[in-house]
Amino acid sequence: MADVTITAPNAEAAVEQPPPPRPSARLSRRGLERLDLMLLSVEALDLNGGEAMVWMANQLGFGSLFPNRVELWKRRCYNPLRLACRRGVLSEAETDALISLLCAMADRLYPMLRQLLSASEPEPVTQQRWQLFRTRLDELVRERLNPRRGGVQKLLDHQEGPRLQRQLVQGLAFGSGRGGFDRLKASLMDAAA
Amino acid sequence: MKLSYRFEQTSCRLRIDGLPDLSAGHGPEVIGILSAWELDLAGHPTLEGKRDHLQALLAAVLPYARHLVSSVPRPMGGATDPVQMEPISSTRAGLRNRPAHRLRLHSSQPDTQPLELSFDDAELADLVRCLDQLRLDPRVQLGFSLPPDRPLQRREILERVPLRQRLAPPVAGLAALAITAALGLMVPLPRPTATPAASPAATPTSPLTPPR
Repeated sequence: MADVTITAPNAEAAVEQPPPPRPSARLSRRGLERLDLMLLSVEALDLNGGEAMVWMANQLGFGSLFPNRVELWKRRCYNPLRLACRRGVLSEAETDALISLLCAMADRLYPMLRQLLSASEPEPVTQQRWQLFRTRLDELVRERLNPRRGGVQKLLDHQEGPRLQRQLVQGLAFGSGRGGFDRLKASLMDAAA
Repeated sequence: MKLSYRFEQTSCRLRIDGLPDLSAGHGPEVIGILSAWELDLAGHPTLEGKRDHLQALLAAVLPYARHLVSSVPRPMGGATDPVQMEPISSTRAGLRNRPAHRLRLHSSQPDTQPLELSFDDAELADLVRCLDQLRLDPRVQLGFSLPPDRPLQRREILERVPLRQRLAPPVAGLAALAITAALGLMVPLPRPTATPAASPAATPTSPLTPPR
C-alpha cells in the first residue's frame, strides 16, 4: 500500500483523517482560481452540475460544510476572477472538501472526460463534443466571472482559450476519483509561474 | 490459498495474483505476497512481470500523471529503470487528440529491445485510474513505497513556457540596446571649434528707466 494519505470519501473515515502534514497547506488565490474553474468545467459538462454538487457533498459527508447551493457558492466566490469576489482565504478543511468534491464529480463524469480526450473516437464527433463543452463553459464564464480580468479574457480568447480549456479537462481526467485527490491538491498548491 | 484481484477501466485491465502474508498479520483476503501480475492494454501486448516491475510502473506512471495535472509533462524514470515514461513531442502544433505519451519498458532478458507503447490522454488516464485502484485497495498490501505528491517549484513550472518564448524578452532587450548604441555611435561628435575671436569690449548701456 502506498504511503500516501487520501482524504476519505465518507463521514466516518473523515474523522480518522490524520492531521495535515504541512502547516501551510492552504491554497493560494491562484489555486482557488483554478479549483473554481475546474468546478465550472464540471458544470459545463453536466447541465445539472450545481445540484449534483450539493448532492455529492452530502454523500461525501460534507453536508455540514455545504448544506445548500448558497454555502457552496460562497466558498467558490474566493476565486479572484469571480464577479462577486470575496477576500480572504479558505481554511484547509474547506479547500480539502472542495477538492474531494471535485474529484468525486470528475469520477462521475469520467466517461465524458475520456471521450473528449480519446484519439480513437471519430474526429468530427470529438470536435462537436469539444465545441459543445466550450460553448457551455464560455456561457458560464461570461455569466459568473469578471470580464475585465486578464485571466477571464484569456479563457474566452479564441487563440488561447481552447488550450486552457483542454488543460482543465486533462486536470479533471487525471485527478478523478479518490486516487486523484493528492495529485490535484498538490497541483493546486503549485508555486505561481 | 491463492488470491486473484482484477482492476478494470475501459482500455486497461490489471490482474494481480498473490497470497496473504500471514507473518505480517494480514487477513485471509489480503494479498501481501505478489506471485504474478498481468496488465492488458487495448491495442498493446499484455505486460507481466515481477513485483519490482510493478513497483517501477507505479513509480513512473503516477508521478508522470502528477505533472500532467499541472500541464507540465516531464520524462519519468531514469535510464537504468525498467520503466520509463515520457511525453511525445509533436511538430504539428494543435489540440487534436493524439498519442502523446510513451511508456518504455526494458526487459530483464538480455539482448531484448525495449518495448515502447504510446498512449493518448484517455488511455493514460485509464491506466492511472487502474493503478490508483490498486494502490488504494485495502485488500492489496504490497508495501510499495511511492513518493508523496508535492507542489511544483516555480522553476519546474517555468519550463512549460517554450524556450523560444522565454528567451524572447532578454534577446529583444539586448537587440534594442545594441541598436540604440549603434545609432548613438553614428551621431557625429562635435568638432573642436576654433578659439572664438575676442569679443568686443563691453560698453556700458544706459540703465533702463521705467516709463512714466
